[in-house]
Amino acid sequence: MSRRAFRWLVLGAVIVFYAVPMLSMARFAFQRVPVVLLTWDTLFSRWTIEPLVEAVTSREFRRSAFATVRIALLTASVTLFVLMPVLVRARLAGRRLRRVVELSAIIPFVVPAIALVVGVSGIYREWTPWLLRSEYSLVPLYFVTALPFAYRTLDNGLAAIDLRTLLEAAQSLGQRHSGAVVRVILPNMWASVSTTFFLVCTVVLGEFTIASLLLKNTLPLYLAYAQGQDPQGAFGIGLLLTVVSAVFLAVSARVSGRLVGTGVVR
Amino acid sequence: MSPPRAAGSPIGWARRFVALWRPSLVAYAVLLGAFLIVPAGVVVLRGFDGGAGERSPMLEAVSGQYLGSFWYSIRLSALTAALGSIIGTGVAAVLVDLPEGSRSRQAMVGYSVVAANMGGIPLAFAFLSAFGVQGLVTKLLGTAGFDLIGNGFRITNFGGIALVYMYFQIPLMTLVMIPAFVGLRRQWRDAVSSLGGTRADYVRRVVLPVVTPSYVGGLLLLFANAFAAYATAFALSAGASRLVPVQIRFFLQGDTITGKTNLGYAMAAWMIIVMVAIIVVVRMLAARTEKWQ
Repeated sequence: MSRRAFRWLVLGAVIVFYAVPMLSMARFAFQRVPVVLLTWDTLFSRWTIEPLVEAVTSREFRRSAFATVRIALLTASVTLFVLMPVLVRARLAGRRLRRVVELSAIIPFVVPAIALVVGVSGIYREWTPWLLRSEYSLVPLYFVTALPFAYRTLDNGLAAIDLRTLLEAAQSLGQRHSGAVVRVILPNMWASVSTTFFLVCTVVLGEFTIASLLLKNTLPLYLAYAQGQDPQGAFGIGLLLTVVSAVFLAVSARVSGRLVGTGVVR
Repeated sequence: MSPPRAAGSPIGWARRFVALWRPSLVAYAVLLGAFLIVPAGVVVLRGFDGGAGERSPMLEAVSGQYLGSFWYSIRLSALTAALGSIIGTGVAAVLVDLPEGSRSRQAMVGYSVVAANMGGIPLAFAFLSAFGVQGLVTKLLGTAGFDLIGNGFRITNFGGIALVYMYFQIPLMTLVMIPAFVGLRRQWRDAVSSLGGTRADYVRRVVLPVVTPSYVGGLLLLFANAFAAYATAFALSAGASRLVPVQIRFFLQGDTITGKTNLGYAMAAWMIIVMVAIIVVVRMLAARTEKWQ
């Protein structure tokens, strides 16, 4: 076999492997024909988006969707508000603080979500149960979960600009400190800021382990629940969620020009 | 606080700027401490802390049926990491051979980003509808005369979960390897041939040494990726899986077996230990890789 043919064989096989599960999910979600009755004749009959429409208009879906959006927006904002100043500070303050921050930002990698939940509920169930009762208890946990990716994206953004000169220039033009960050630094690293925002949202949109063990009603949990009640609608929403995260990731990859990965949703 | 303009070395100004942002540093430390470091510390401490007259939970967690769980998780992670790294590297090699602006290359890299981040419930749904008992592929193979289910394949058992994991392992490896391949300079190939080397010499003496650290790093990353995974397997098997994280869940939900109080903590502590070991090696390898990029 020629090299060229071999190349396309590899690509073709992988493309089929990537495409088939997604197409199957789409068929299951949007075609009202059970697999048993599926033949070449019925392949194109009774396609409908009704199950998805019914599912997304249900009260349970809306409740968990709103909860997820609230948590996602809050987590993304907390991430930017807390992390940006820390990273600016770390860049200005010299090597030691930078190393500490860099190291601290990769710790979440070594604590799997399940281990994190075990520890968190071990502490807070005993001492401050009210803390875990609120749905917003997910916010700090998701901040921690998304930290390595947020850190990497924002730090790369900061590395690409001449922070010290920009701050000096802003100051000599009469800007105050916080104003300098908001009016000068942020616009200069808009790509990494928005990438961070979308990455954090993607994490929240897909995270299942922590939400499920703390019994928080987010979208992935709704999916798991709806799988038993209304499988067709649930699969439709699963597909929708996949598409939304794909768009977020594509936007992130495009604006930042980098290959991004989170890998925390499984 | 308004800064005295005249006191103006940039360093001094920067220092004052930094002081103003101290609250965020405190917030960062508190968040990280309260929701990551202390919980992880508690997991490890309680893992070592057995009740009176009990065997150390850390030892208990790696014996008997619990050892079986660890083997199951490790086998699954090792298998999917090995296969995923080989196939993913192959895909990366094919992709970097295509011209950089080509549509198929961009589309494949773009989809790899998406697929590498996929997992959890939606991915489980996708594979259930393709390879489940009522799946489309199962049906298609059946029509072609191959009985997938009759041959013992279940999307919920070892082979099935491994197949599902390949969906994110392959693209993740592709993403890891593309920069490594792109880092190979055209001039190096020319240098080898101008020194009288063959293509095989180029691969053996240049490509392998430069690419190997990335490959090993990626392999370990894939292992860690599968090892820490929980949601996908849970969704596939409705919690019946033998994977370590699914086992830990039992303890967390209060199904504590008497006399094994801290076993859940110990299993979680072992997971952290494995992850730390992997990440340390990955970081060391990354330091070596950066030389070439």
